[in-house]
Amino acid sequence: MEQFFQQLLNGLAVGGIYALVALGYTMVYGVLKLINFAHGDLFTIGAYLGLTLLISCNIAGMLPPAAAVLAVFVMVGCLVAILGVILERAAYRPLRDAGRLSAVVSALGASIFFQNAIMLIYGARYYVYPDFLRPNFTVHLLGVAVPGVRLLVIGTSVGLMLLLWAFIHRTRIGAAVRAVAIDPDAARLMGINVDAVISLVFLVGPALGGVAGLMVGIYYGQVDFTMGWMYGLKAFTAAILGGIGNIPGAMLGGMLLGLLESLSAAYVAMAWKDAIAFLVLILILIARPTGILGERTAEKL
Amino acid sequence: MRHKCWIWLLAALLLLPTLAAADVKVGLMCPMTGKWASEGQDMQNIVRLLVDESNKKKAGEKIILVVEDDAGDPRTAALAAQKLASAGVVSVVGTYGSAVTEASQNILNEASIVQVATGSTSVRLTEKGFPLFFRTCPRDDAQGKAAANVILKKGYGKVALLHDNSSYAKGLAEETKQALEGSPVKIVFLDALTPGDRDYTAILTKLKAAEPDVVFFTGYYPETGMLLKQKKDMHWNVPMMGGDAANNQDLVTIAGNDAAKGYFFVSPPLPQDLDTKEAKDFLAQYVARYGNPPVSVWAVLAGDAFSCLDAAIQAGNKTPASIAAFLGNLKDMPGLSGTIGFDAKGDRVGEFYRVYEVNDKGVFILQPK
Repeated sequence: MEQFFQQLLNGLAVGGIYALVALGYTMVYGVLKLINFAHGDLFTIGAYLGLTLLISCNIAGMLPPAAAVLAVFVMVGCLVAILGVILERAAYRPLRDAGRLSAVVSALGASIFFQNAIMLIYGARYYVYPDFLRPNFTVHLLGVAVPGVRLLVIGTSVGLMLLLWAFIHRTRIGAAVRAVAIDPDAARLMGINVDAVISLVFLVGPALGGVAGLMVGIYYGQVDFTMGWMYGLKAFTAAILGGIGNIPGAMLGGMLLGLLESLSAAYVAMAWKDAIAFLVLILILIARPTGILGERTAEKL
Repeated sequence: MRHKCWIWLLAALLLLPTLAAADVKVGLMCPMTGKWASEGQDMQNIVRLLVDESNKKKAGEKIILVVEDDAGDPRTAALAAQKLASAGVVSVVGTYGSAVTEASQNILNEASIVQVATGSTSVRLTEKGFPLFFRTCPRDDAQGKAAANVILKKGYGKVALLHDNSSYAKGLAEETKQALEGSPVKIVFLDALTPGDRDYTAILTKLKAAEPDVVFFTGYYPETGMLLKQKKDMHWNVPMMGGDAANNQDLVTIAGNDAAKGYFFVSPPLPQDLDTKEAKDFLAQYVARYGNPPVSVWAVLAGDAFSCLDAAIQAGNKTPASIAAFLGNLKDMPGLSGTIGFDAKGDRVGEFYRVYEVNDKGVFILQPK
């Protein structure tokens, strides 16, 4: 039982990060019907930018650890958000009327461009985050010793998701985003600036992805230029699992995928964990082709 | 029998030109370009240095080194082997990858040229029964035996074996398992992780439930570093060991000094870690000529391959057959990577694998035998 609980928390920590990255996929898809394949690389850029800010710009040396991490969180979020908007302007907006296939190819191109640019700028070696930034305390929860940093990862991702949900569903701007997702032309007739809404989506999604990259960097310590590929793939899967275009669906899908992986590693065979996770994905999609929360796709977001 | 006759006939034919010319040609086949170029360049640097040093000591006939690039590619290697054969070499040092060596084996065997491979660890290369083929590197199954010996020596009762499904790491885990069969050591766990993942806590939690005395992860250094780090996060103090794929200083960078401390792995020793006279002299000469010490042990093995060929030639053996006979009887010749000798198949014998342990400053320390 103790092992089960431990594995549950392991799964939630991994799943929280999948969910954060999945939100970027699902938001862009909800509004533009485009799979932004470069999202995984924005995640990697977040991890590398965080490292640059902490070490090269010496933020880690100027502020106490907790404040440094907080400051870098905000800065990475902003920088990756700007990059996301530039990406949309350069690679997606010129192709918006050109059909979905062209946009997908453009997204793949952007992904390859980012990945190679990171490799050429930073080199192909592994980089390591300084260890003293990680909160180093242990929490005793239901008789299980849990590293505090894992609870912080779960807490931060859930907090950010709730914040996003509130933003989309409880504010006027959020209502505009939802309107564009349902029908861009009707939204334009209602006086909504569709281009501005799309830019906003490309601010928020990449910011969350970049922050997730920073979290992975601090939590696991090690970053390399290919890390975005795996997380991108898993997050994309999570978005589909939960029902793409649907924000609570992305959260649910991410958490579920993380749990599936850790529990199948624990109770079946570790080498089979990915195979089992994707088998479950196929089964769920056979039963519900639009994903778990997919019936709300009409409403999007 | 007919096979043997041919070898003698060809050997006799080759004897004539070598008697006439004073110098002996030795070939080096190595990957000067391609993905293993850094290995090949090290190999060439080392062998060239040893050839020059050996020629300095000789009054009369010298050794001429003929270098061919195999690009780490089997097709290029076949061409390189043919070029070496027509250049009239008596023996060839090389090459690095097993598949590349295999492509050259038949050609060199048919041309009756002694081949001493250096980084080709695949078991089947010496199972073909080529009488002129030798290698200075151990076979893949030798590392499993060495690891099993270390486990027995350290007195662990329960071992967890973990690999990453790569053919190398899986092979090592299986060889270790085989070598431990019939011993008092129990294998309580055998499974694989997914390389490239970030989070191994699920795997570590499962491993912990098996209560092993030692965890042997046979894969590469990035995953080893992450495992060590996350193991420490869980406050789990089980010792961890690895194979020669862990021999990279980045392991400590990834894990951190605290988490890496006490980690040990089985690996061939680098000359800078050996205290034999041969290793020290070689290192001093190498640094004087090229500036830095060699980084790869596999390149050093090319130097050892040349050293035993040189010993054979200096003993008056100028034909492939007599060189092969000399190598077959070679025992405990001091080399750059320990003592060198060959068994009937042409595989290297002698204690080769050593244990390295990470100290509290994160430095790999070679442990005494």
